[in-house]
Order: sequence, then C-alpha cells, then structure tokens
Amino acid sequence: MTMAPQLLTRRRSGIHGRQNATGWLFIAPVVIILGLFLALPVAMAAWVSVSDWTGRGSPFSGTTNFVGTENYSAILSGGGLAERDFGTALRNNFYYVILTVPLQTALSLLLAVLVNRRILKGRGFFRTAFYFPSVTSSVAITVLWLFLFSASGVVNKLLALVGVAGPNWFQDPNGVLHLLAGSLGITTPPAALAGTSFLGVSWWDWLSGPSVAMSAFILMAVFTTSGTFMLLFIAALQNLQGELQEAAMLDGATGWQRFLYVTLPMLRPTLFTVITLGLIGTWQVFDQIYTGTQGGPAKTTLTPAYLSFSTAFNNQQWGQGAAIGFLLFAIIIFFAIIQRLILRERTTVPRRKRFNPPPPQGGTK
Amino acid sequence: MTRTRTLRMATGAAAAVGALALSACGSGFSSPATSGSAEATGSGPISVLIGSSGEAETTAVKSAVADWSKTSGTQASVTVASDMVQQLSQGFASGKPADVFYVSTDQFAGFAANGSLEPYGDSLANKDDFYPGLAKAFSKDGKLYCAPKDFSTLSLVINTDKWTAAGLGDADIPTTWDGLSAAAKKLTDGPTTGLAFSPEIARVGAFFPQAGGSFVSEDGTKATINSPENVKALGFVKSLLTDGSAKYSSDLGAGWGGEAFGKGLSAMTIEGNWIGGALSKDYPDVKYRTVELPAGPKGKGTLQFTNCWGIATDSKNKPAAKKLVEQLTSTQSQIGFAKAFGVMPSVQSAAAEFKSEFPAQAASLAGAEYAQTLPSQPGAADVIKDLNAKLATLKSSDPKTILDAVQTEMTAVLAK
Amino acid sequence: MTVSPIRQPIVDAEDQAPPRASDARPAPARPRVRKPAKWGWVVYVALILLAIVYIFPFLVNIATSFKTEPEAAANPLSLVPATWTAAAYERLFLNSDFPLWFKNSIVVTVLVTFGRVFFDLLAGYALARLRFRGRSVVFAALIAVMAVPGVVLLIPKFLVINQLGIYDSYFGMVIPLLADAAGVFIMKNFFESIPVSVEEQAKVDGAGTFRTFWSIVLPMSVPAVMTIVILSFQGSWNELSHFIVSTQDPALTTLTKGVAQLSSGQLSAGTQYPLKLAAAAIMTIPVAIVFFIFQKRIMNATAGAVKE
Repeated sequence: MTMAPQLLTRRRSGIHGRQNATGWLFIAPVVIILGLFLALPVAMAAWVSVSDWTGRGSPFSGTTNFVGTENYSAILSGGGLAERDFGTALRNNFYYVILTVPLQTALSLLLAVLVNRRILKGRGFFRTAFYFPSVTSSVAITVLWLFLFSASGVVNKLLALVGVAGPNWFQDPNGVLHLLAGSLGITTPPAALAGTSFLGVSWWDWLSGPSVAMSAFILMAVFTTSGTFMLLFIAALQNLQGELQEAAMLDGATGWQRFLYVTLPMLRPTLFTVITLGLIGTWQVFDQIYTGTQGGPAKTTLTPAYLSFSTAFNNQQWGQGAAIGFLLFAIIIFFAIIQRLILRERTTVPRRKRFNPPPPQGGTK
Repeated sequence: MTRTRTLRMATGAAAAVGALALSACGSGFSSPATSGSAEATGSGPISVLIGSSGEAETTAVKSAVADWSKTSGTQASVTVASDMVQQLSQGFASGKPADVFYVSTDQFAGFAANGSLEPYGDSLANKDDFYPGLAKAFSKDGKLYCAPKDFSTLSLVINTDKWTAAGLGDADIPTTWDGLSAAAKKLTDGPTTGLAFSPEIARVGAFFPQAGGSFVSEDGTKATINSPENVKALGFVKSLLTDGSAKYSSDLGAGWGGEAFGKGLSAMTIEGNWIGGALSKDYPDVKYRTVELPAGPKGKGTLQFTNCWGIATDSKNKPAAKKLVEQLTSTQSQIGFAKAFGVMPSVQSAAAEFKSEFPAQAASLAGAEYAQTLPSQPGAADVIKDLNAKLATLKSSDPKTILDAVQTEMTAVLAK
Repeated sequence: MTVSPIRQPIVDAEDQAPPRASDARPAPARPRVRKPAKWGWVVYVALILLAIVYIFPFLVNIATSFKTEPEAAANPLSLVPATWTAAAYERLFLNSDFPLWFKNSIVVTVLVTFGRVFFDLLAGYALARLRFRGRSVVFAALIAVMAVPGVVLLIPKFLVINQLGIYDSYFGMVIPLLADAAGVFIMKNFFESIPVSVEEQAKVDGAGTFRTFWSIVLPMSVPAVMTIVILSFQGSWNELSHFIVSTQDPALTTLTKGVAQLSSGQLSAGTQYPLKLAAAAIMTIPVAIVFFIFQKRIMNATAGAVKE
C-alpha cells in the first residue's frame, strides 16, 4: 500500500513530462505554419512598408534602404496620384460597407424569421435555397453577375418589363447620390464642396455615393452572404426560450411587439457577430474586383485591398502596397472597436428590466 | 511554472522558428544577376511571355518560336499573358521571370530602372536596322535595352457595306473633323453607331496631335496636357459622344473597338494594325477598308504603338534568348508577322517589301510619318491610367477640368 | 468568405428546438388562432418569391452555357435555349487549359484537406486535453492570428513564399493553406465536449498519451473530422488570392485563377458569355455536390461554429 502513492507520484510527473512533449509535438505543425505564413509575413510587410524595395532581389539585401514613413505619407498626404487613389478606394469601400452590412443583416434576419416558423412546410428546401449562394466561389458568382448585369442582360430585361431603362451597370461610373442630385436639378457641384478635398478627393466626390457599378457589387455581396448569416440567426432564434415568448403573448403583446421587445434584444449577441463578420468581410473585398472590374469604371470599384495588390504587383511599388495593407488593417480594427462600443451591453437599468429569467415557480415579473 | 517563464519560452521558440525560416533552405530571392554578363554561358529551355491581341498573333508567334526551337535545338515555350504587367512584375519580384517578353513603351522606363531588363540591344547584329524613333523609345542612358519588335499606328477602319448602304461614296471619306462628324452621323442608324472606340487615351489621344497638342514637350520635361489645343480635341470627342454618333465600345457591350466593329455594332472604329488579324480570324465576313485618320485644325495626327522583345536580367539562358530575338526581328520573320496580324516591321530593310505586299495598309504606314507616342517617362503610365478613368465620364464632364487635373499629375511625375 | 468559429460545440440546431410551451398550457384567446393561418399564407408567398430570386441566377447560368453566343446576348432571360449547343463546353474542355485547371484544383484541395484534418486534429487535441507549457500563449496567439484580415497578407505572403523558395510550386500552393486557426478551434471545442472519463479510463489501463489519442479519441472524432473535411474542401476549392500570389506558371493554374483570368484578362477579348458561364457552372458543381450531400451537417456546423 505504501508503494501506491510513490507509484502514483512517479507516474504523474512521467505523464506530465510526456504530455508536455506530446503536446508540443502535436501543436508544432500548426504553430510553425501559422508562424511562417501569418506572423512572419506581417513582420516582413512591416519592413517593406518602411523601405524602398523596388521589387528585385531580397528585401533584406543591402540595396534596400529604410525610408521611414515616406510610403505612408505619400499615401496619406502626398498630394499626388497615390493619395487620390487611396482616397478614392476608401470612399468606394466605405459606401460598400455601410450599404452591404445593414442590408445583409436585415435580409438574413428576415429570412431567418420567415424560415423559422414552426408550421412551415418545406423549411429544409428554403434553407438550402437561401444558403446555396454562400457555398459557391466568388469567382463563379462574379462571372455570373457580369452576365446578369450586362447592358442587355437579364436584370435590364426584367427592368424593361416594368418600364424602367436599366443602366449599363458595370460600365456606369456615376455615383448614385450624384444621380439623385441630378434628378433633383443639382447638376453642378456647389463651389464649397468641389473646392475642398480630403485625401485628394473633393468633398463633392466623397458624397457621390456608390457608383452604379459598385451597387451591382453590393447586391452581389448581399446575395452571397445572407445565407450564412441566416443560419446564424436561425440557430439563435431556435435557442430562444419558448416560455418567454409565451409569457409575452399572455401579457397581450402582438407579434410585432414580441419581435421588437423580446426577440430582438435576445438576438443581440448574434447580431453583434453578424455585424462584426460583415464589417471584416466587406472591408476586404478583393476577389470580386479582381475577377470583375479591376477597379473600373473610372476607378469607382477600386478598393483598398485591390489597390494594395495593384500598387505592388502592377506598379511595382511594393513599399506603398504594403503600407496600404497596414492602413487597411488599422481601419478594420477601428471599425470593429467602434461597432463593439455601439452595440455593447449596457449594464444599467434597461438590462435588468429586459432580461429577467422567470423564477422556477412560474410568474413572469 | 510562472506565466512570464511560459511567455519567454514561447517567444523564444517562435523566434527560433522565425530565424530558422529566414535562413532556411534555398532563399527564393537570388541576388540579382549583374547585367553585362550577357555573354556568359546559359543553358536550359527558355520561356516567352506575350500579350497577344488575339488568336492570330498567338498562332503566329508560337509557330515562329517553334521553328526557331527546331533549328537551334533549344526548347522554347510561349505563354499568352492574361495580365501582362502583373505577370511581369510578379516574375521579376520572385526572381523567376520569363526569359523573353513583350515590353511596351510605358512599362519600359520602370523595368529598366530597377534592373529587370538586360540591355542587350547594342550587341545585336541588326541593331542599326531599326527605325531610329523606335530605338530611341527603348534606349536609356545611351544603351539600347531591347529590340523593337514591330509598330502600329491608329487609322480609321470603315465597314464598306454599311458605308455604301448609307449612301456614302469615296468622296465622303472623312479628311477633316467635320467630315468625320458628318459621316458618323449618317452612319448612325438604329442599332448601329457611326463610330466606336475603346474608352482609353490610346484611342482618344489620336485627336490631340490633330489639334496641334501633345502630352509632353519635345524634350520630355514639361507636361503639356491641358493646352488649349488638347482641350479643343477632347471637346470634339465629347461632342461626338453627346450627339450619339460615337460611342465607347464598352457602352456597346464589346470588349474593344475591334469587337464592336466586327459584330456590326458600329460602322467605323479607330484601331491599330492588329485589327487586321483579329477581323480575319474572328469576323471574316466583315468587309472593310482602312484610311488615314482625318486631319484636325492643325493637320494630320495619330498615335503610334510599339513593343520590344525584353530579355530578363535574371534569365538563365541569355545567349539563346538573344538568338531567338535576332531571329524574330529578322526581315523575313517580321514580314511573316505582318501577314499574320498586320503589324508593321520595325526594321527599315523590310519597308519596301511591306509597301508592296500590303497596299491596303498604306494608311497605317503613312501614319508613321506624323505619329506621336504616349509619354513613357517613369510614372507616366499611371497618369495615363488615371486619364482613362476620367474619360469614362467625358460625356458629363468638362474637358478642361479633366485635363487640368491630369496636367497637375503629369507635372508631378515629370518633376521626379 | 471565411468563417471564424470561437467556442461552441457542434450542436444540431434542429434537434434542440425548444419544447412547445403550448403543449402544457391552454391555447390563448380565440382570435389568435385565425391570425397565424392568414399570415402563414403571406409568408409562404414571400418565401417562394425570395427563393425564386435566389435560384433564378443559377438556372440562367446553366441555360446560358448551352446557348449560342448571339442568342445569349439577344435573349438572356429565357431558360430554355432555342438551339441547344454544347459548343461552349467543347471549347472549354478541348481548346483550353480547363482540364488542367480542374486537375490542379483537385490536387490542391485533396492535399490541403488531408493536411488540415491531420494537423487540426493534433493541435485541437493538444489544446483541449494535453497540459503543456505555453499552452495558453499558443491559444492566445491563435485567437490573435484569426483577427488578421486575410487580404492584408497578400503581399507579405508572396514575399515569404518567395524567401522560402517554395514559390511557383505545389508546395507553395498547399503548405500555407494547411493550418487554419478556425479548424483548430472546431477540433478543440469538439474534444472538450467528449467526456473526460473515457480518456481517464484509458490512462488507468496504462495507455500513454499517444495511444489514448490514436485508439480511443480518434475514432470518436469522426463527426468533427467530417466537418473539417467539408469546410476545408469548400475553402480551398474557392480560394483565389492565395493562388494569385503563390504561382505564376500557367501549368499550376487552378480553377479559380483560370476562370478569373478568363473573365478579366486579355484572354477574354470578346464577351464570350456561354464559355465563361460554362466554366463558372462546372467550377461550382463539385462544391454543390458536397453541399447537397452534407447539407445538414454543413449548415449546423456553420451556425454552431460561428456563434460567440
């Protein structure tokens, strides 16, 4: 009997030692690969973004010099084409983000609510139909979209059926807000807006809205991502306590009131996830631009991600390209933080009022 | 086991991994080969990267290279680039570029500046045979970097069936801007637009010299983009667009002017020599003729395009590459290319043969006398790209505003 | 788009539908019984219309790939071609590199899937069950890594791949895709949901760590492995930007890169819609097949995995 504790102690440390080695062995491949292809690239890009590497030879060779923030200042304040392109890309992507994220969130929530109804027949079919576009490759969908939205394509033919003359979607560089202003009679920009500029783009151009071409991309984004988010909302809806809904119904709340005051607040975590994922995804749009328009028409579908790629690979300005990448990184983090601040749970009275799990004996207040 | 020790161990491990990786097996970035070693030995197959204008060009180049391969014994393969600039840049940056490739005038400055191009031109046997203007476009610091492969000028291509159907005859061939305007208006009928061209300066810019303007000054140091002559030219183009007698090929759903013309969406187009090959391959039923572009207020003007055969400094078999280029720029080879896709030979010794064999191309050849090239200073390509972007909204913008903006950019670029 | 799971066991959402409270309580006031019926009808119509909007583009895709070019341009709406022609498919398979692209996509996808399953299994188990020094640091690092947006890494990955000498090779295409933090988390969550007693039993019986893993835990992890297989198949089949920066040899082009070039590059001189749409259709088929077979699992995995 006295042997047992000794044996156990020995075995424990033995196991620990072996576990340590095994643990590191198991985790090593993932760590190495992630380190090599995620951590190391970031470090290398950081170096390239503050250097004048021209694109030949190693960036660590003697011919590459440290130039400090020259690349960053060329993009942010240089007054030249680099700054204007960055400003244009930011503007384009900004409109893309603020239109796509709310649209896809609202649409996916709507789809989830519709599909989630218990008495629905064929729910599986609808779920599949709405989720399928999310499974396809962005390249395939972009090619399809280019066809659907061509000058005499499906969309314009459908619009013609209701008497609307559709634009030449992917070739039309006019901003939506500008078109709206034009229809209201404002065809020349007011002097104040046209004269001043930010990041090389005049304020009038900042207020141009997404171009018609970008709008086609926005529709495509909503089409392909609403399915994924719909699933998230469905899962969340199904986890809602049925009792709470019943309690609200007994209290005389209508369907709409139930939705607004019971369901929606309880979907807050999922809403938060969907919006965060949406923000991160929309700020990085690249595949669709590369396959579809490469920034055209008139640079209205240029995005920072594509600009970063193009500056490096097409113009051979690797330092600037890397700098744009890091600026994009900063923008994404900034938006994610802002979003977190806006949507965070407030630990004040409303929360206590809103979510009060019913005590086990029944009764709801 | 405290947290700091854990942290330190983990960072240590990560640093070790990182250091190992950096010094690891085969650094992909080989130190750039020093230029001037063109006479050094080389071996192995060579790769050719081309930016083809269509199947006619691809077939012609592939067969010419295959013939050389057979006689020389060195394997050579031809790849058609889908995005020439990107693929070249990526190749240079990775140290594994194609051995022989097209280099256009606007990309030349950048590639030559960072040492990607091998300056082999002065050691070519037929170096003096190239047109001086073309050779100058590909020279830097007095060295001929690469051999011009051919050149083309822009001319007016007219669909003869639609021409006669509109009641127009030989006398109506436009020789002035007014004539062009009138002809285009007459030819615009229903689904057919009178004149179509790609929405880029590489076509619209042909009107600039016709009005007496240019992109940069003679010595290449000053930008002259917003000169009143250019504003006039752009204004003329805008008027054609606004009254519907001219359209961008993209607005007609075509990829370029040649496609709009070949599909019958337009009766005229402004294109270069290469349209000959494209039309005969893809749209053989279209009957057409080529005439010089009409003269503007200050006379005739057109744009000239040329590419050269670049050899990469990092090529593993430079002697073979040079021999291939010599073969491809020979008179016989160039006449062959001219037959296949209509470009004009870059060597003066082929001029006579070209004139006699291709009387229909007389207009293009004539254009060579007064053609202008797009500016090729480093960075000018981006300015041109930006001008192209602005051209997309020409119909609703003011030409002077557009050109003023581009003037600022060009000045900044030339000042560097 | 990439899905980033955090901490959630794979839960079959359908099986966890909340208990019907109406079974236990009396039905509410009369009028409410009629309302659901009327609204139900409207909802149904709305759903059908939306489903049509979602399915129609794919039907157009298939139909157009069988049309002639002029008909595709003139009559894009019709779902039945006036003259059926397989010319686009012929050109695709006989006159272009499409079969090569297909083969490359398959090679890369298979290699990446196998690799990911293997590495994620090991790493997930290590994080879930094994106590080793630095475990929490690695865990934190994994989370941090997931925060880096993929596109920011375009240029730098090109530089690193070049530096390591694996540029323009299958190695360069496959290896960087092998580790994905998302898969590791899925595995980790799964292993954490397995009762520890099973492994404790094995240890008492004298099995070492590796033995326990190999013969006890691994066979139980089939559902999670299936999930990783599906997700990584989908992810690597649809990947584009990584292949752009890691290869330049046309012999290594995958389907995504090839079709993108077909659509945007000089190879696309001329708007050959039936050809491009045929390529897009074929490229979607494998993913569609996998999707339809494993629908339920995919949809539950996505939902469960992405919730916070």
